[in-house]
Amino acid sequence: MVKKYQQRFRKFKDEMDRWDDLQVRLISQYQNASSIIGRLELLQDPKNFGSLSGMDGIVDALLGKQMESLQLSFSSIKKTMEELGNVVRSMEKIYRDGKQLVKGGSNQPSIKQLQQRVGLKPSLEDCLNGLMLLCNMHRSEYNLKESIVSALPELFWKARNHRAQDLSSLQQLLVDQPNIRKEEVEFIFDTILVPEA
Amino acid sequence: MVLLGIVVPFVAPVVNPQDLPVHYSSFIAIVFGAVGTITTPGSSPLLPSITRLWRPSAQRNIRNQWSKLSLLKQQWASSSSSGRSHATSIVNAYLSEKYIPSMELGSLSDMIDIRNKVCLKLSKQQKLYRSKLLSSYKEMVDIVVQMVNASRLMKCYFKRSSSSTLVQFSNSSEDNNNDDVGDGGGISVFTLLTIPCFEKLAEELVHMFELELNLKRWLLMELFSLGSESSPKSLVWSEELYSGEFDNLCLCNLWSEETNELLHPSLKGHESNTPIVSSNQHPNAEVLQVYLVAWLAEVNIHTKRVDEIFELVSEEIHVGLS
Repeated sequence: MVKKYQQRFRKFKDEMDRWDDLQVRLISQYQNASSIIGRLELLQDPKNFGSLSGMDGIVDALLGKQMESLQLSFSSIKKTMEELGNVVRSMEKIYRDGKQLVKGGSNQPSIKQLQQRVGLKPSLEDCLNGLMLLCNMHRSEYNLKESIVSALPELFWKARNHRAQDLSSLQQLLVDQPNIRKEEVEFIFDTILVPEA
Repeated sequence: MVLLGIVVPFVAPVVNPQDLPVHYSSFIAIVFGAVGTITTPGSSPLLPSITRLWRPSAQRNIRNQWSKLSLLKQQWASSSSSGRSHATSIVNAYLSEKYIPSMELGSLSDMIDIRNKVCLKLSKQQKLYRSKLLSSYKEMVDIVVQMVNASRLMKCYFKRSSSSTLVQFSNSSEDNNNDDVGDGGGISVFTLLTIPCFEKLAEELVHMFELELNLKRWLLMELFSLGSESSPKSLVWSEELYSGEFDNLCLCNLWSEETNELLHPSLKGHESNTPIVSSNQHPNAEVLQVYLVAWLAEVNIHTKRVDEIFELVSEEIHVGLS
């Protein structure tokens, strides 16, 4: 029984790797978008164009082009978020399947069986709780990211001095992933998978 | 028409050739192999047999040229981006050099001549990156020249050679007789587009890169003149940045026949050819940032349209162009 759970944890690990890849991508996309937002103000003032302002139509053209790439990076952020959502959903599926393993079977284990540990092996309850915790972490982190990303377009309209600060603090939040506590994740995996090694 | 058992003999009415529907004559031409005598309006002036041979070789040529264009587009992107990073390095070195005198050096200020040494180092760096930027620019010039060449080689001429009986085609018009304009008589090469269509698309595409090249040249000259306090030789628009540059820019349609000088940078739809007056002042940090954004943004290259063109062509020629 525990073996089956360990398999699930390994599957969960794969999903977490996918999450990490997407996280890297999301951050670079966010940086891209925020650096464009950061310089829009600069581009709105023809004074900043120096001699280049002598070129007919350059101010509008440059602004238009930047808006275009901003839109592009917004849509790529959206795509990455969708993929992150998929990862969270398949994590939750792994957890649901895990619950089915104990509850769906013909002989339902008693509470005592659930808590029973054999040697170094984790109890079934440990496994289930571990999966649930990991799922919750990623779900709430996903929700946080969702709200950070949706705040991005609003920053357009903010005053300049606030904007730069907000952009960088949001980015920090995105990088830190406060909902996914590294030590806890490691601890869970150690308790479940270590006895095998 | 004449059924058995009908007694009255059928007399076919006399039909003048002019009264025939238009497609009849081409039908006749095919059936009877009538050579060169009957041409319906819009059909190929070449013999049908030659047209049949022309198509595959024209297709091969079109595929080649467009694959080249697609490859060149990628090369442009990489040269442009390395150019941008060199440009950024120039700007950074220049700005740090400017700030050195006012910089708080802390305990470092005890070192003799530290500021001068740092400045010297920074101006050396600028020089290094300037030469790197110039070589990126050179690459871009070469790329656009090749683009222009590819866009001009879309045609496929029937080559008449007396020595061999084989029908041959080439994409140069040198050894062909006058009645062949290389477009296969205006028929479509694959399913829809004719040679002039392909040429027009290529021309539109290449024109964007030509304009962008000129803007990049201007930006480069602005960046080069940053450090000109130490070297009094300032750059002039009408002087070559390297030998042979103007020959190449001429090929890129950036030479004005009227004024007999290099065109001034302009945007599409705003072609005015008035020089951009450079101010004598050195640009400040904000302006330099805008210059870098201008390099990065490639305002003349309308990404959506470029993708559209490549998509259209790629569908037509059944070759993936990314």
